[in-house]
Amino acid sequence: MAGPSFDDLEVGDELPEFKPDVSMERIRLFVGPSGMAAGRFTDHEAARKEGLPGAIVPGILSAGILAGLIHRWAPGSRIRQIDTVFRAPVLVDSHPLCRSVVTDKDESDRTVEVDLTITNEQGETRVMGTARVEL
Amino acid sequence: MILDLHNHSIKSDDGRAKVENYCQWIRRREVPIDGFVLTEHRQFDADSDYRALEDSFGILILKGSEVETDYGHVLVFGVNEDLLHAFDFTRLDLPLATVVRESERCGAIAVPCHPGRTRVGMCAHVEERGPVEGVGIIEVLNGGSRGTEDHDAQALAGKHGYAGIGGSDAHIVSHIGRCATRFPRRIKSEEDLVAALREGKYEAVSWT
Repeated sequence: MAGPSFDDLEVGDELPEFKPDVSMERIRLFVGPSGMAAGRFTDHEAARKEGLPGAIVPGILSAGILAGLIHRWAPGSRIRQIDTVFRAPVLVDSHPLCRSVVTDKDESDRTVEVDLTITNEQGETRVMGTARVEL
Repeated sequence: MILDLHNHSIKSDDGRAKVENYCQWIRRREVPIDGFVLTEHRQFDADSDYRALEDSFGILILKGSEVETDYGHVLVFGVNEDLLHAFDFTRLDLPLATVVRESERCGAIAVPCHPGRTRVGMCAHVEERGPVEGVGIIEVLNGGSRGTEDHDAQALAGKHGYAGIGGSDAHIVSHIGRCATRFPRRIKSEEDLVAALREGKYEAVSWT
């Protein structure tokens, strides 16, 4: 599958949006094998007892989802660095939207820097970050 | 003149944006602002010199700070040597009354930001302990607001007669220019900004 050409990219170019599946069923498939099967990730009621609005998507999975967005866009790329800041929880069984946009190009090593965000149904930023991607 | 009054660069612990990339983004995406203020968390970045970027991109870049008080986070504009010696910018529990009073004494101005936000905004603190003397301006539009946070900030402003500013609270490049403040006058420096804020003739604007 052909990916984007470094030479054709410009600052401001948007990567294809991605709507990840964060249903409880999918989250349980992740947290079991990764040893993170705590109630806050797998049980809405247990999460509420901890003061959360509901079960939350593990941060490490959010970072992985954002990395997946990059690789869907550029399958042959190498993510040199990815950095996420968690502003608010992504809720299990919600419908988040992942977006990314090119914010810088480095001709010397043919890398691009991208912003990454996960927003909720209201368009509120839950997770944001950046990545440097070698194309 | 439209200035985005609340932004963070990689100088802030949670900032991920280089200042040059903010400039590049503003020009490339034709973001309708004439400049922005860098309000790094718990510090004043006296060392960085952005004049070359200003000249290259034709964008005004000013510097302020975002400090942390017992009433939540507060933007400080017009930071100078006197103010840097008036209180410790790195503290997490500065008394808001002190920040407001010392800013005024030193020729700066303090503006509580994202007042509607839980814990780090002043709305809940005002409800619990009452308003703080000397506050005259608050941030009523914040680009990172969630739920009713901006609405709550505007209600607080209306109740106490505060003027309102807007700022993006950008931490990544693509978030700059979500909210800003429109001034009827030209601003060229931090001193101009303080004077314009004191005049009270401005409005918060949003493109989100």
